[in-house]
Amino acid sequence: MEDDLFRNLKEKPVTLQFPYERVEPVEGVRAKVAWDIEKCIGCRLCVMICPGDAIQLIGRGREAEIKYHVGRCLFCGECVDVCPTKTIYVTKEFELVFTNRRGMIIHFRRKKRKKTS
Amino acid sequence: MTFEIPFGPQHPALEEPINFMFEIEGERVVNVKPRLGYVHRGIEKIAESRNYQQLVYLSERICGICSFAHTLCYSQAVEELLGLEVPERAKFIRTILAEMERIQNHYLWLGLTAKEMGFETLFMYAWRDRETIIEMLDMISGKRVNYGVNTIGGVRRDITESMTERIEKSLDHLEARAEYYTKVCTKDPSILKRTVGVGILRPREARALCAVGPTARASGIARDVRADEPYAAYGEIPFKVVTYRGCDVASRMYVRIDEIKESIKIIRYALKNMPEGPVRVKASLKVPEGEAISRVEAPRGENLHFLKSNGSVKPERWKIRAPTLANLLSLCRMLIGVNLADIPVVIAGIDPCIACAERIALIDVKTRKREVWSGKDLWRYANEWYRKKYGL
Amino acid sequence: MVSEEIWALIQIFLFPGFLFLFSLAFFTEWLDRKIVAKFQNRYGPLYVGPKGVLQPIADFIKLLSKEDITPSMADKVPFNLMPVLLLALAITPLFCIPVIGSEALISFEGDLIVIMFIMSLIALLAFVGGWASTSRFSSIGGIRAGLQMFAYEIPMNLAMIGPAISAGSLSISKIVDWQLQGFWNLFLQPIGFVVLIICLMAHLQKVPFDIPEAESEIVSGWIVEFSGKKLAFIRLAKDFEFVLASALIVSLFLGGPYGPWYISPIIYLVKFFLCVFILSNLRAAFARYRIDHLLTGAWKYLTPLALLQIFLIKIWGF
Repeated sequence: MEDDLFRNLKEKPVTLQFPYERVEPVEGVRAKVAWDIEKCIGCRLCVMICPGDAIQLIGRGREAEIKYHVGRCLFCGECVDVCPTKTIYVTKEFELVFTNRRGMIIHFRRKKRKKTS
Repeated sequence: MTFEIPFGPQHPALEEPINFMFEIEGERVVNVKPRLGYVHRGIEKIAESRNYQQLVYLSERICGICSFAHTLCYSQAVEELLGLEVPERAKFIRTILAEMERIQNHYLWLGLTAKEMGFETLFMYAWRDRETIIEMLDMISGKRVNYGVNTIGGVRRDITESMTERIEKSLDHLEARAEYYTKVCTKDPSILKRTVGVGILRPREARALCAVGPTARASGIARDVRADEPYAAYGEIPFKVVTYRGCDVASRMYVRIDEIKESIKIIRYALKNMPEGPVRVKASLKVPEGEAISRVEAPRGENLHFLKSNGSVKPERWKIRAPTLANLLSLCRMLIGVNLADIPVVIAGIDPCIACAERIALIDVKTRKREVWSGKDLWRYANEWYRKKYGL
Repeated sequence: MVSEEIWALIQIFLFPGFLFLFSLAFFTEWLDRKIVAKFQNRYGPLYVGPKGVLQPIADFIKLLSKEDITPSMADKVPFNLMPVLLLALAITPLFCIPVIGSEALISFEGDLIVIMFIMSLIALLAFVGGWASTSRFSSIGGIRAGLQMFAYEIPMNLAMIGPAISAGSLSISKIVDWQLQGFWNLFLQPIGFVVLIICLMAHLQKVPFDIPEAESEIVSGWIVEFSGKKLAFIRLAKDFEFVLASALIVSLFLGGPYGPWYISPIIYLVKFFLCVFILSNLRAAFARYRIDHLLTGAWKYLTPLALLQIFLIKIWGF
């Protein structure tokens, strides 16, 4: 054991000095998801498949809006796989910190089209 | 004159809460009484209100370290009920990930046992080497624990060519480190003095108390679900079941380090002979009626899931029997006659995962009293209930 | 007249007195933690002060500000007195170790015996602290501290007497003087050196002999019920014991300070840090032994080796 101890004296420590040094997230990292809400058709498949009840659909069909509870999300990626129009995509944010509970619910709204007279 | 010492639920030697009441005379243990139930989360009850696809993610979270073994066991049970045949490539990927989890678990165990013995340096080294295998798992699945790769009908991610190269390089590094740990654990005098002859479990007792996993294999009993009832791709991969005859903590250490080397060989073989094809078949959510039992060799021992379905999308009953629950009786037998200073070493020797082992705790809501029922109470309650029902 | 008293005050309070000893104790703890961390491939203290040098002081101040809880069943008087006594007993022998030149601040014939007596008292105080806390874990820790004293007291005292027999005097300053005129005792009595290092690890309660305060078994042993200011004093006393152990090895076996008054402290410090390095290295390289292993090992190996060393001194004449 002694020889290994002395060899480690010369090497650089393996600890990363977080937050000054960070690790890059990998290619297929499981992190927070987001909606490209204009493509959503309101089929409710993501609501039914979510194991943690983290997705809430408001409205119907092409007017549907999404409320996403980050606190309940498992980051499993099932909703990404099951969406027929590929509306849901995975971002690379995994260092998630919120300061109040209301901030954990993200509301994806549609752009209101102005009715021309 | 016996002296009662409580061990846990909060203790620096334990990662999970469990309570042992030891009766000590001088420095020797004469009696031990375990109490479980501090981590009861009601998983089997939640299971009755979720559908089969959602339960894959619940089964992952039974335990943080052997999570892949639990999902594998559960998925195999559901596939047996559905009569579904998983593609060959998915079976090989499942095997590779299961063996990677075994390597990761055994390195973690080595570090923890060294910490119980007071050997901090070995703890730091073992966990530094564990980072290598965790990075490989991160690369394949996107997460370091609770991978979410298994699903009913196959796996959700594939292993590509570039991944294979990096895995081979890390396997070489891990094999060299496993050789080094074998050398340290067989030659270092302080480790040998603390582990040889401690926590003896004779083969006759191990068989009678149904010990599983490396605990049984260190007493010379060659019991391994991968060899007895091959699942996934184990039927096509040649490997050796590692046994030692020392019956003490040192033998369990050698069994686990040798299992790391065997796992590395299995992964190499599987990566070389992996067939092409799809990784997933579509499975229906509605499962026909029936019962299924599936067994898997988790890193700690034999994992057993029992699933009963009634034709709808939600299961009727799901029972989990984790390996630590099976080893608990052997642990109580091992602890009698042991020195007080060796208690954490012996407890760490069976690799306890208390989160896997659950038991019912009854709470009387009106009086807010909490009681734990033993076998005798259950038997008495059953007799009274039947007597009242049939008016005897 | 007056300048002599002022000079004495400067010596007692500044150098090599209290200020020097306190900063040496904190610096030694930092060095120990840094060396062990480097062996384990990690950083150690890093942020408080340049390279983490002020970390032990920060720990001490933090502990002073925490709540001080006394268990209701504890014996109040021994429980409250014990940390203060421990600190006082740990600092006192340090005045007898020469730092400048070969004459210590306080040196008289027999100060080696006084130091050995104070070291036994320190070990006994561990037992008193554990027993007075009346908690299950602390009584076991206290009993183990007492048992450990049975194992290492005799070899340690025999190994410390060896240089005194060669030098023909029981004063540390005279032993250092005798070494400066001949060879270091390290080359003349190597067996005694090894025995002393092992017994000092047992006296300091460091791995592989930190049985009375084994963290993973009995949750800090005899220290478990102390908190706040008392714990701060106990930890500071442990640092001072470490300084005392290294200083003893330097004076008895490695020749002590050497040269004119402006060079000798530097030489002394170099040898001192070498001893700290050796003790930290041993701490990182072993697992913890059990108390019965220590007792049988000490009586089977350490005591005969120490006796052998004494016989060799008598036979060879130095």
